[in-house]
Amino acid sequence: MSELQLAFTNTAGLSSVMSFWVFVASNGFSKRKELLTKIGLGVMIVGFLSLTAAIIARGIEAQRFPLANLYESLLWFAWAVMGAYLALSRSYGINQLGWIASLTAATMFLYGSWLPASQHDITPLVPALVSYWRQIHVPPLIVSYAMFFLAGLSGFIQLYRAGRLFSLITAVVTVVLALTAVMLGTFTATDTTLLQLMFAGASLIGTVIAFAKLDTVDKARVDIRGAELYDDVSYRCIAIGFPLLTIGIITGGLWANHAWGTYWSWDPKESMALVTWLSYAAYIHLRIHRECSAEKLSLVAFIGLLLTLMTYLGFNSLGLGGLHSYGKFK
Amino acid sequence: MPILASVKLTVVLLALTAATVLVGAWCPQEAQQGREKIIEQFGADTAKILIDCGITDIFHSPWFLLLIGLLTVNMVACSMQRVFPKLRLLKQPLPFLKGKEIGKLPVNARLPSANDASILVYVEQWLRKRGFKIKRQDNCLVAEYGKIGRLAPTITHIGLLTLLLGVTVTSWCGFSGFKPVLAGGALSFEDSEHSKLWIGKLPRWYVRVDTTRREDHPSGDPKQWYTHLTVVSPDGTPLKEQEISVNNPLSYDGVDIYQSSWGLDHLLVSFNGKPRQLDLRQMGKTYAAFLPLDEGSILIFSVRGQKTPVRIFAKRADWDAPKLLAEMTENKPAQLGAVTLRCEQIVPATGLQYKCDPGLPITYVAFGFIIIGVMLAAIPHRHVWVCMAPPPSENFPPAAAGHYLYIGGRSLKAKVGFQRLLDGLIAQLKDELRINPGDDAEKSPKIDDVVSELGKEPAKDESLAFPSPVASGHSPATGEG
Ligand code: HEM
Repeated sequence: MSELQLAFTNTAGLSSVMSFWVFVASNGFSKRKELLTKIGLGVMIVGFLSLTAAIIARGIEAQRFPLANLYESLLWFAWAVMGAYLALSRSYGINQLGWIASLTAATMFLYGSWLPASQHDITPLVPALVSYWRQIHVPPLIVSYAMFFLAGLSGFIQLYRAGRLFSLITAVVTVVLALTAVMLGTFTATDTTLLQLMFAGASLIGTVIAFAKLDTVDKARVDIRGAELYDDVSYRCIAIGFPLLTIGIITGGLWANHAWGTYWSWDPKESMALVTWLSYAAYIHLRIHRECSAEKLSLVAFIGLLLTLMTYLGFNSLGLGGLHSYGKFK
Repeated sequence: MPILASVKLTVVLLALTAATVLVGAWCPQEAQQGREKIIEQFGADTAKILIDCGITDIFHSPWFLLLIGLLTVNMVACSMQRVFPKLRLLKQPLPFLKGKEIGKLPVNARLPSANDASILVYVEQWLRKRGFKIKRQDNCLVAEYGKIGRLAPTITHIGLLTLLLGVTVTSWCGFSGFKPVLAGGALSFEDSEHSKLWIGKLPRWYVRVDTTRREDHPSGDPKQWYTHLTVVSPDGTPLKEQEISVNNPLSYDGVDIYQSSWGLDHLLVSFNGKPRQLDLRQMGKTYAAFLPLDEGSILIFSVRGQKTPVRIFAKRADWDAPKLLAEMTENKPAQLGAVTLRCEQIVPATGLQYKCDPGLPITYVAFGFIIIGVMLAAIPHRHVWVCMAPPPSENFPPAAAGHYLYIGGRSLKAKVGFQRLLDGLIAQLKDELRINPGDDAEKSPKIDDVVSELGKEPAKDESLAFPSPVASGHSPATGEG
């Protein structure tokens, strides 16, 4: 990795951490809110631009499209989260999502920087990946994952604004547990069966409790306007993420057909992407069928987030790889 | 059966299908990974339970097929009843709403205004700049955005049904398979896989593997695999020749042949002229053959590639590590005591995947429809109505300027974005009309009001199906079963 690329990447990582703290502060000091929000946005823009530069620099150095391993995909993910947040805040003027978006990007940077050097190094590709299809297939998927993360997180804020604190806390704890399982699976030799249980168990129990406790409302905190806003943001993210996921899955099929002669082989990761796709299709139809409350939809977006996490990072780190295990390095 | 056409059923079916696929993603599938893998992973007892429950072949289980069948029926029924009929409505002209009707829209405002047509022109330009299509009639206008987004469900669902058709055609008429073939060997299609309801037929020609090789990166990692193939007719005439590689298949007579894997299969050596075949096993980046000599000692032949020398090691039970004895190549034999070891040939095997997929063109068309459909679904469909009119009734406070400008609209998707858009327009209009805060301009309701307003909206008026809620005549068939 060249000095230049490293400098860009580090600036981006640092910016995401900084913008996180600035956004947190902006929520704390109501007097300076506007100024702090502007600063937070500014830092985020710097981070976004340097990350763009870092990715381009990496591509030039490697003489190939810079999206071939887990580390590179994490860079893209952080890039998409930051970019999507910036776009959303332009059209919605939302600030509360800022610290969450920064935190997500920072977590991904951290995750990426902990990966062993073999992931940071620019390595040649295995035969299966030498194809122009790679750059058509992978970016829409990574960006859709980022959109689904943002959708889930907006759903969290929606729950907060709707006073559904109990459900919200359950959901947050669930996501943290799931993420912990992924991290343990990536960096330690913990038994993968145990981690699978941790991920699945937390998800199941968390989802059930979150739904069951949806009627527990802290009336003092209810902010209908805000709830409506974040419900809309969540839907918007899914409305953009869903076509991207569709394109990603279908181009994956076209690539597989081109390379191996079959566009679908029920490979675990492929199936998992289909699960995610079906769940968001269910979400979209729930929207059409108007009886579903915004809070329930937020929880469906939360389930979607867990499934997205499973598809993107879970399957490789929890030992369920299959054909797509080049996302894996152990 | 109204339930078959309900969206509630759709959501339930989609969720069940997702759960089923999830189980299939978690549990290794026999069709892909073989039964041994399942027994190895779960132990014989658990494996038996999984196999008996059909979980290890879940994508061919009656349960899964039932779900797909129900989804299809649901989609056809629903599409006939409520998706396709709405297309007709798209052609009907939009009504021009008047003051009172505009006041009922989710987002609306009433501004006092002079009876001045230039205001309407201003609004018209403002909306047009933001992509709205506008129709004007006297003192009223109606603007529409993203009408094409209304085609989303139709196109997506037609795409999904087409996909199902393509998959069915392939499953009834196509075949596929995988076979490792040695250099010099041949690939024929007798042992190909196909479904139970198969009505296709197999080609009589076959394919000869002339040569096959691997190209490496300088680091020794494989870069690309190549196989030179000749298509041969039953009577032995060559019909077509091509070198294939990963991502670059051979196509002939509707059958595609792909390079899918590659390995060294065996080593032909001779001991003092006596030939012997040694099977190679992959050990990381190299291949190795093992030849036991006596109790406790063993000869190991290690090969990296076809062009690199074969290294010969000896290993005894009481040694820590194997000892390198000699190297040999195809031209240079090795001398081990009284034995001359000659490497006759390093024989590679190429993994060939083949398939005939007659439903593929249909499937590709379906992919196109689905992609376009879901992209269209991201476009919000929006309407804005504006009308300039005198005060609605006698006992209404007359506006200072004489008239009122009514403005209102709705958007099923991205409501808050739409609210912000209209708020922007209304703020600018106030500037334009020089209305100060505190004047009798009735502000657009706060989002809270909009929310409660939307909540009140009957599920019947589920979408923006036209004619509008005021125009009578058609009531979209949207009632739930
Ligand atoms: C299998 C049974 C299905 C049924 C009965 C069904 C039914 C419906 C209905 C009634 C609508 C609303 C149409 C309207 O508002 O005019 C709709 C919209 C839609 N459906 Fe389905 N659907 C099914 C499956 C799927 C699947 C598997 C997908 C996957 C992509 C899908 C994608 C869509 C999309 C993209 C829309 C448009 C959504 C929007 O405009 O926001 N549908 N569907």
